[in-house]
Amino acid sequence: MSQIAKHILRFFLFFLVQVLVLNQIELGMGIQIMIYPLFILLLPVDMNVFSLMLVSFALGLCIDALSNTFGLHASSLLAVAYFRPIIFKLFAPRDGYDILFEPNIFTLGTVWFLKTFGLLIVIHHFWFFMLEMFKLNEIIFVLQKTGLSLVVSILICILLQYLFLRKRNSNEV
Amino acid sequence: MRNFLAFIRRFRVLLLFALLQGIALSLYFTFLSFPRSQYMTTTSTLSGSFFEWKHGVTQFFALEENNNSLQKENALLKTQTIESLFRLDNGLVKVNDTLHKVQYEFIPAKVINSTHTKRNNFFTLNIGSEQGIKRNMGVYSSNGVVGVIHFSGPKYSIVKSCLTEKVNIAVMIESTGEHGFLEWDGKDSRRGTLTGISNDSKVVKWSKVVTRGAAGFFPAGIAVGKVEKATVVEGMPLWNVTILFSENYRTVQRVYVIKNLLKDEQDDAESHIPADVVQ
Repeated sequence: MSQIAKHILRFFLFFLVQVLVLNQIELGMGIQIMIYPLFILLLPVDMNVFSLMLVSFALGLCIDALSNTFGLHASSLLAVAYFRPIIFKLFAPRDGYDILFEPNIFTLGTVWFLKTFGLLIVIHHFWFFMLEMFKLNEIIFVLQKTGLSLVVSILICILLQYLFLRKRNSNEV
Repeated sequence: MRNFLAFIRRFRVLLLFALLQGIALSLYFTFLSFPRSQYMTTTSTLSGSFFEWKHGVTQFFALEENNNSLQKENALLKTQTIESLFRLDNGLVKVNDTLHKVQYEFIPAKVINSTHTKRNNFFTLNIGSEQGIKRNMGVYSSNGVVGVIHFSGPKYSIVKSCLTEKVNIAVMIESTGEHGFLEWDGKDSRRGTLTGISNDSKVVKWSKVVTRGAAGFFPAGIAVGKVEKATVVEGMPLWNVTILFSENYRTVQRVYVIKNLLKDEQDDAESHIPADVVQ
């Protein structure tokens, strides 16, 4: 029960932080910080892909409704949810995932986190910026935006986990 | 039938993904070209009041700058009022002015939410169709042009700002009258581009760029920015003019929506252009 409450609380926190803080920050050079794919990563390992997609669609639409992007965030977060089980299988530890632990940087290690979350966020950012520009002749600018934004996003996501998650004991926020 | 069910079972993940993806993408592309409903935008009452609350907190961040520009505009207007003019007649002559007719009305509004990092940036205003706001009305502030109304809900409306790919505002270089369209490349919120200036004319650096008033969204002569540089478009006899916007879109708060009372008349007249003449 407390697990579900925790994730619902996180849903609203990620939503509010993205809309009220990160959408207003301008770093120049086309950087746009988006950290909400971390919410999808931190959901339980054994959650099935249908509920994963529905939750991500809901979060995406909520963010869209308050940032005038009309479905861009929903579409790219949906891609993250779709690819999450595939990527989790790809980088699975030797003896599989322990479903008691939440998949984060402490329980599964920094290398695993960088590989998994890095790949997810590359998909997310590339999908997002590609749809936003929707022009093949601006591909260099799309790649520049993707590359620079994902570095900042990953750094903030690592920082967030060090600040708000307890080491080893990840049953609480 | 059994094969069909088996097919659905086999690809159910992919099918759900495609379905939701289809919903999201169709929402995105229809709203980008022509919005039909207020849901999913910041004009809905729920998100509107949410941003009203947020604006209550963040409006103080750029207060100094906004007050300065309003004071400057006030000073300019004060010099034009009747009190500051010297009266040449003795009050016996009264002119009933029939040569001038009011064409533009200005509705004050506040920007309660804005973005400036996306490819297409929309601003939310705190007034909507109940205050007479309609699609395609011009929006400007005391510093310069802000954008065009993209969609208006009952109490809130969104503005397609100058920081969108094709805002389609007709602008001209004030000194020469050369005109073209305003565009934005998505990179720098201080600079835009002006396309369609023929390169047989000279473009002087720092000459003023103002609205042309062609489509009836804006009166002619509202500031847009200044010419920063002009480069040659390869293979075409055109300049690619970079403009430094006079408005700082990151801090703009107080704006005016322009209501053109003669817009219908202009549209009506222009609809009589024979179809074979238009391009």
